Amino acid sequence: MTESSEEELSLLETLDHLLDRGVVIAGEAVVSIGDVDLLYLGLNVVLANVDAIIRTSQPKQIK
Amino acid sequence: MKLVVIGAHRERNDIEPVAEAIAVSDLWLSAMLIEESQPLGDRDLLLRVAKTRAALLDRATFVAIRYGFTAHGSSEAIAKCTAHIDRWRRVLHEYRGMVEMTLKVAAAETRARPDRHDFESGAAYIRALHDATRATDVAPEFRKAVDETLAPLAVKHRWSNRDTASLEFAALVKRDDVAAINAAGAVLKRDFPSVPFLFSGPWPLEVFADDHE
Repeated sequence: MTESSEEELSLLETLDHLLDRGVVIAGEAVVSIGDVDLLYLGLNVVLANVDAIIRTSQPKQIK
Repeated sequence: MKLVVIGAHRERNDIEPVAEAIAVSDLWLSAMLIEESQPLGDRDLLLRVAKTRAALLDRATFVAIRYGFTAHGSSEAIAKCTAHIDRWRRVLHEYRGMVEMTLKVAAAETRARPDRHDFESGAAYIRALHDATRATDVAPEFRKAVDETLAPLAVKHRWSNRDTASLEFAALVKRDDVAAINAAGAVLKRDFPSVPFLFSGPWPLEVFADDHE
């Protein structure tokens, strides 16, 4: 892998963590960037990536 | 001006002067002040927030708040976070001095993502998407290797299905063990050159921020 593609990958990973992880505060709209599915949830109007919602709805596997 | 809230921290000194510090109960929120008119999708702003997040993590572990939470003044930020404070306090106390590492790996067999147009209702589509995601798995020998090399270096670890094409292994690691787990990740890369995966970190509390719910 070249240095620039490594940098690009690192930037993408950083942005993925910024946009797709962490605590979601109810009532806040997460921005849509690129071609992602968006979903309204209830009256709090939480917008989130559908994949992220499905992921967080999975039972936790703690070892 | 508006505040882009970044995370929840134990100490004011963990935030300043890297970012604005807002007291909420006995914890602190980190935030960046931006112009009211600045769109949240602005590339430069995203990069600034990402850099600030990294600088904050260098100081101390914090609970990451997903990008997009803005407030017009500290009282609005405090009001919206109050319901989370007890959980954040417990997580920050229990996981003090720890960070997250993540490994994203392509599924052994990519399943077709359901097409929204094939479903009459959104609920049926979401269910199908959920089922397809849950059915995705990684090559057993790779999962075994991860469980035998990375997992023992973690305080806690968790596999989760990301989508129909990938899975993620998240590890909660003591800061002192980051170098060791990175070395284990490099060995994994050497042993499984044909498996597309990305091992990254350290990250703030993201996956494990929901513990104690």
